[in-house]
Amino acid sequence: MKLRLKDIALELQVEERFINELARIGKAHYPNEYGGFLIGYYSDDKKILTITDTILPKKYNATPSLFMRDNIGVKQHFKNFYKEKPKKYYVGEWHTHPNNKAIPSITDIKAINSIRNDKDVAILNPVLLIIGYTDNHTEIGFYVLIKDKIYKYEN
Amino acid sequence: MDKNKHLESVIKTHQIAKEEQLLNKHRDKSKDVKESLEKEYGSNIYSPFNSGSYAKNTAINTKFDFDMIAPFKKNAFGSNGTLKDMYNNVYDFLYEKYKDEANVIKQKVSIGIEFFRDEEGDIVKIDVVPGRELNQDKYPDDENLNLYVYYKYGNYDAGSERIKTNVKAQINNIKDRATNEKDSIRKIIRLLKVWKGTKLNYPTKSFLLELITIKAFDNNDITGSLWDKLEAVMEYIRDEVTKENFTLKDPGNSSNDLIDTLTTSERQNFSNDMDNIINRIEDNDENIKTYFPENEKFIEEDNDDTYGDKGAGLFSIPPKNERFG
Ligand SMILES: [Zn+2]
Repeated sequence: MKLRLKDIALELQVEERFINELARIGKAHYPNEYGGFLIGYYSDDKKILTITDTILPKKYNATPSLFMRDNIGVKQHFKNFYKEKPKKYYVGEWHTHPNNKAIPSITDIKAINSIRNDKDVAILNPVLLIIGYTDNHTEIGFYVLIKDKIYKYEN
Repeated sequence: MDKNKHLESVIKTHQIAKEEQLLNKHRDKSKDVKESLEKEYGSNIYSPFNSGSYAKNTAINTKFDFDMIAPFKKNAFGSNGTLKDMYNNVYDFLYEKYKDEANVIKQKVSIGIEFFRDEEGDIVKIDVVPGRELNQDKYPDDENLNLYVYYKYGNYDAGSERIKTNVKAQINNIKDRATNEKDSIRKIIRLLKVWKGTKLNYPTKSFLLELITIKAFDNNDITGSLWDKLEAVMEYIRDEVTKENFTLKDPGNSSNDLIDTLTTSERQNFSNDMDNIINRIEDNDENIKTYFPENEKFIEEDNDDTYGDKGAGLFSIPPKNERFG
């Protein structure tokens, strides 16, 4: 599927299948939150972000309202993705909101800013995918940090 | 279009200090290579040292070439060992040692170790130049080395063993001149290297660009603005480099003439290129940007209609800990 920002000419492309797979993985951790790293690449004109893969954390802590992940043990995976054609790299993170909406919490907003400001992070516009779900409903929200604001991608 | 302002910016954006991080990576790798050689060859080798652009104080940051001179003892490869034996032995060792993390390549007089792109997307390359002292145990006194020429190199034939040079004298000469006349020679050398960096596999060695700039300053009254000086040096190259009696003596060894590293047609092309640059910039100042581009990595951009990066490639390792709610 193709998502767009309202006022800014940037797009995000992702397979619905892939999102469904993330939701399936995330829901297996119910009632706790769960998540991982998002891998993808930008188009040559840097207008389209395509998200293709996830790397799941080796080490994490989670509760129904908190998800803390470590990068330990997965660094080689990032290197391997970068060797692919096209080169794929870290573009953001995803996590679930069990029994909740796909809206970023204050903690999430802090996290996305800290990601952008981290000296080992190459990109300026990290993406956040939130998968909110209940027994009978799943919703997703894709967000991106641009300068100091968070924008939501729309269908 | 202020040509001088642009040229200053070219120099500034290519400044080595700005890529401190990349430089540190080179230093680390270079240390590693040096220690491996010392460990492998023990008492058969004198301490390897850097003679690359950085040591010469004229480096630009778009491409570091780090030369590491590895000075071997006369009988390091047996009393009948040839320079070819030395070259191949060092190649075999470096290949085995670094094949999993680098491309190890036989080059003209050196062995290139081009490390695979790292996390930040940077490539570190170190050229190891094996050299052998002329007489057993004399290197500490005369600092002279014979190098092996792996393949055809200007007018030197492949397999020839005739280059001998006092590398330390080369380095010191350039360092002194470049430091004393920082505002002119060094800047011009930098600019010419920036220009060379825009070309693929241009045959003029960096060392040749350095010597020819110094010679231009030696033989002419080069004054005025930065552009005036650059233009004067380019005119000098255009007019002189094709002359049959033109020489560029290696300060480390006056029998080594760097102009011999270029064929007659390469000299003609070099002259034509200088002529072309001067004419195109005369036609239109803006063309200066084509030949002497700024290092885009350091031109600050504040775009909000493209996905951005911090100018050091796209590869990241995510922050260690991150907490979501
Ligand atoms: Zn959240």
